[in-house]
Amino acid sequence: MKPQVFAYHDPSSVEEALELLARHGPGAKVLAGGQSLLPLLNLRLARPEVLVDINRIDSLDYLAEESGWLRVGARVRQRWVERDPAVRRAVPLLAEAVRYVGHVQIRNRGTVCGSLAHADPAAELPAVAVAVGARMVARSRAGAREIPAEEFFTGPLSTALSPDELLVEARFPCSPPGWGWAFVEVSNRHGDYALCAVAAGVCVADGRVRDARLAYAGAGPVPVRLPQAETALREGWPLEDALRAACSEARRLLEPEADIHASADFRRHLAGVLTERVVRLAYRRAVDGAGGARA
Amino acid sequence: MREPVRTIQLSVNGQASTVTVPVRKTLADVLREELRLTGTHVGCEQGVCGACTVWLDGEPVRSCLLLAVQAEGHQVTTVEALGTADHLHPVQQAFWENHGLQCGFCTPGILMTVVAFLREHPAPSREEIREALAGHLCRCTGYQNIVRAVEDAARRLRPARG
Amino acid sequence: MRIEGNETLHAPRDRVWALLDDPQALAGCTPGLEELRPVGPDEFEAVLSIGIAAVRGTYKGKLRITERTPPLRYGVQVEGSSAAGFVRATGVLELEDQGVQTGVRWSGDVQVGGALTLGSRMIPGIARMLASQFFQCLDRKLQEGAA
Repeated sequence: MKPQVFAYHDPSSVEEALELLARHGPGAKVLAGGQSLLPLLNLRLARPEVLVDINRIDSLDYLAEESGWLRVGARVRQRWVERDPAVRRAVPLLAEAVRYVGHVQIRNRGTVCGSLAHADPAAELPAVAVAVGARMVARSRAGAREIPAEEFFTGPLSTALSPDELLVEARFPCSPPGWGWAFVEVSNRHGDYALCAVAAGVCVADGRVRDARLAYAGAGPVPVRLPQAETALREGWPLEDALRAACSEARRLLEPEADIHASADFRRHLAGVLTERVVRLAYRRAVDGAGGARA
Repeated sequence: MREPVRTIQLSVNGQASTVTVPVRKTLADVLREELRLTGTHVGCEQGVCGACTVWLDGEPVRSCLLLAVQAEGHQVTTVEALGTADHLHPVQQAFWENHGLQCGFCTPGILMTVVAFLREHPAPSREEIREALAGHLCRCTGYQNIVRAVEDAARRLRPARG
Repeated sequence: MRIEGNETLHAPRDRVWALLDDPQALAGCTPGLEELRPVGPDEFEAVLSIGIAAVRGTYKGKLRITERTPPLRYGVQVEGSSAAGFVRATGVLELEDQGVQTGVRWSGDVQVGGALTLGSRMIPGIARMLASQFFQCLDRKLQEGAA
């Protein structure tokens, strides 16, 4: 048997789960899809005393569009988001990016909220959350609070959640009219973590970029938003000049780390190349009125 | 800490069984060690190699990344349910005839992924097949014959025209 | 893996050096340090408990001061292991006189082994996060000292 001994609880309500988290503090770990946690347990890199499995909490299994927001409950599997046509319409960037998360076998089990709470700096969904300005709904026995994505990710595998809090929902704003979205990634193999990935949205009117959002995965300790590159896209004209300026901002400002898979310089280079590619794609989709839907 | 255990009802390949297992034991280990269903192989135990792929409610998942206690109330299907030595599943037949396996260690997981994949993509492109196989590592046959076997399997499973 | 960074501490260089040269002050600012026991000249045994999300480990090992050139350079070597693997690191701090404040250029070389290798992708980011906690703490101490 691989994981170290732990006490296992599988509550059927959020209240019970919060009670358990409050009682056990930092010794407890939430088990959602388990696709990142189980490897850590099997390798004994993680040795929590208590597991709080939220898979029996049916009230967290919802995916709903409500007054301009897509609400994703904590038990929603990535595969659901990948397959649901409503997600493709409402938050096309999420629908496109989720296909890059691991493999089908992983996405059948892995959850959207779990990936956000795990906060791997090279993961796709945290970058999407930052790009679209998602909000995280955290609950503890003391109550609920909403945390903007940009404040949620605090370091590699680290978030603003305290040990007694459960991420019960992620809220993604629905794409407003005029926007196009795109996600591009370079990884060693399909399904691997990104060497570098970029999530982008542009709002186009009369052929000009009026607004833009850019977020990078694999390019820093947290998913990084680049307001300077967004400004370059908004203020530059013609489009080719704006693109050139945005790419050079990306190369100048990002501080990726080197590891065995890629040097920091190569990642910086990729960030520039991918910025151009992703913005062109998002721009075309905005102009075509396609949002981010795949043909 | 004393080893916490739980008695659970598992439904595997349509058969119900009751087992008492340590809560930390993965589904892969319970299938092999308690239920003696050793067709499911355990390779990396960190969700990378794909050898332990089974179906949970009909969808492929890694059984090394699931605790057995989590499978209670769900339908588990393993490679043993696909075919027998005398009556191979069409996908198994295609793997055999196209030399899609050599040592066979990775094969059960690949079969579970491929059968589910062909259900949704009856006429896949080579590119789609490669993407579907991306979650499996094979260290001896090589992927060319595996891709060929999947193409052949797709042909076998498509209803004959006319 | 090589990591480096720059920090600014808000005190003159002499004061920064005095703080760096005081093992107890350093110990107070090292994230997760639970024990620091002198075992020889410039050599300590240390117990560190570091947790990044669910990956928590208690590391036992040695810390050696390898260079001390007041008030310019300070070098350390750390070796530790836990159930999850081992960490070996060397680090150098260089202090630059900037009048009322001090620039710190730091660099390190980190090696990991055992199961920890699987997380090597994230080690530079984690090391940077811990380094920044360390320097923020030093800066607080310096400012408290000045008040």
